[in-house]
Amino acid sequence: MRLKRLLIRYYPPGIILEYVKGGELRNKSIDLLDLNPETDTEKLIREIQESEPLITESRTDQMRLLLRTLQEKLAKQDDRRFHQFKALQAHILPLTNVAFNKSGSSFITGSYDRTCRIWDTASGEELRTLEGHRNVVYAITFNNPYGDKIATGSFDKTCRLWSVETGKCFHTFRGHTAEIVCLAFNPQSSLVATGSMDTTAKLWDVQTGEEVATLTGHAAEVISLAFNTVGDQLVTGSFDHTVALWDVPSGRRLHTLIGHRGEISSVQFNWDCSRILTGSMDRSSRVWDSASGQCLATLSGHEDEVLDVCFDCTGQLIATASADGTAKVFSAATHECIAKLVGHEGEISKVCFNPQGSRVLTASVDKTARLWDVQSGVCVQVLMGHTDEIFSCAFNYEGDAIITGSKDNTCRIWR
Amino acid sequence: MGLLSILRKLKSTPDQEVRILLLGLDNGGKTTLLKQLASEDISHITPTQGFNIKSVQSQGFKLNVWDIGGQRKIRPYWRNYFENTDTLIYVIDSADRKRFEETGQELAELLDEEKLSGVPVLIFANKQDLLTAAPASEIAEGLNLHTIRDRVWQIQSCSALTGEGVQDGMNWVCKSVNAKKK
Repeated sequence: MRLKRLLIRYYPPGIILEYVKGGELRNKSIDLLDLNPETDTEKLIREIQESEPLITESRTDQMRLLLRTLQEKLAKQDDRRFHQFKALQAHILPLTNVAFNKSGSSFITGSYDRTCRIWDTASGEELRTLEGHRNVVYAITFNNPYGDKIATGSFDKTCRLWSVETGKCFHTFRGHTAEIVCLAFNPQSSLVATGSMDTTAKLWDVQTGEEVATLTGHAAEVISLAFNTVGDQLVTGSFDHTVALWDVPSGRRLHTLIGHRGEISSVQFNWDCSRILTGSMDRSSRVWDSASGQCLATLSGHEDEVLDVCFDCTGQLIATASADGTAKVFSAATHECIAKLVGHEGEISKVCFNPQGSRVLTASVDKTARLWDVQSGVCVQVLMGHTDEIFSCAFNYEGDAIITGSKDNTCRIWR
Repeated sequence: MGLLSILRKLKSTPDQEVRILLLGLDNGGKTTLLKQLASEDISHITPTQGFNIKSVQSQGFKLNVWDIGGQRKIRPYWRNYFENTDTLIYVIDSADRKRFEETGQELAELLDEEKLSGVPVLIFANKQDLLTAAPASEIAEGLNLHTIRDRVWQIQSCSALTGEGVQDGMNWVCKSVNAKKK
């Protein structure tokens, strides 16, 4: 094994090792999820060198430089204020979901008008319209980090795979017998997972367009799914009140996470794949151990259904959004509530962190999106402009641009 | 509402829930009717660019009413909403005689849709508060409603503005659903 070069990764903090093994170029990452501006870097370098033989003595200077760069980035106070840059008359019918590519240079919007559109973030220009679905385009995603393909899941029961460059449809995945409402690429971009109202999830081969596996067992609609960071496990959440953990290579069910007393609204892995976070209509969220399938904690306190949950990119923080109009931030380690985000005048349907983990973004029925300071729980900004409820919102990778998609048929860029 | 609530209303509904699709040309009064049903303020209603969904309780049923915009350019998208429909309510502006032919054509096309086959249809002859409104009997004749044989149907004159006739129509809806679910 020979180390070729070291690359920096900001979110979550880490160093990527590019090395040659058996004549083949490979890479692996050293995650530095706990790194902060006060971390003793000399001690950290010694620890890394002890556990990672590729980081030899001769690399010490370079490591020092990389860690300092990371620390500087982390120390940057982000008091950015966002302004509406553009209101895009994106679709002739309401939007569903929105998503950025990895770099944030472009983003996509799905709509009831049966199209998915690709937009240039910097100019707000439409780059392409992906046409072909025969009903609502509901779930959409880029194959990040590559960003050369888009998958769209539709109420027409099919999933389509598209080329970002040409806008051509590579494959139409047929097999579900009801609406497709969630989907994801695995991190290698070799598989697409789709979840459907037909109670199943399916895995599809990106290259061949063939169905690889049907994941059966849920007794009701599959509403949310996510791959872990490695790509060997998939988690699905269902209206049947349960969550299932699947082994991706075999398509076998590893665990059924039972405990919620209402429909599942949202599921996600943390970065190191050790935890699964679930939100439910039973007004609670739960944290589960992905190895054992055991419930580690129930996060309660909301007075109505939990509609969305997420980890920050390091997996240290948890945010929950509720129909009670509030959101909450919890520590993933202690499960304690750090902040209660109060101010929206209606239910919150989406929540996400900025990549830095310093801000939470919420989208609400009250036609506003709001930015909150994670530590204090103070609302630092109200993004006003939409004339109908906001269905979806997202941060770009740098955390300096926000997109919101609304029932008012527009998409807005804030920066 | 939120996307998740839309999914919940989308799934095949339990026995005591009824999915109602509210269609008709633009400016027919669909949204006013919806708000009247939900006892909401009807003073500031603008053309619907997408859809509205409201749930109302009636005679032991939870009526999930989907009000879909009626402008010409978005009529091709009505089809998005056909799945799992229990009852179709078609709203006509009884005072807009110029558009009777257009509205009749749209209705005929809807009744030909496979996904709506056998679905009971209630036609609201709306805007009866206007002096120029055509009576329900005249509309029924003009639209050849008597030729509908593949489903139960009813025409009901009403004013979404004053609320007159609306409850009578909804009573018919509940009755027809009851008959179907038995």
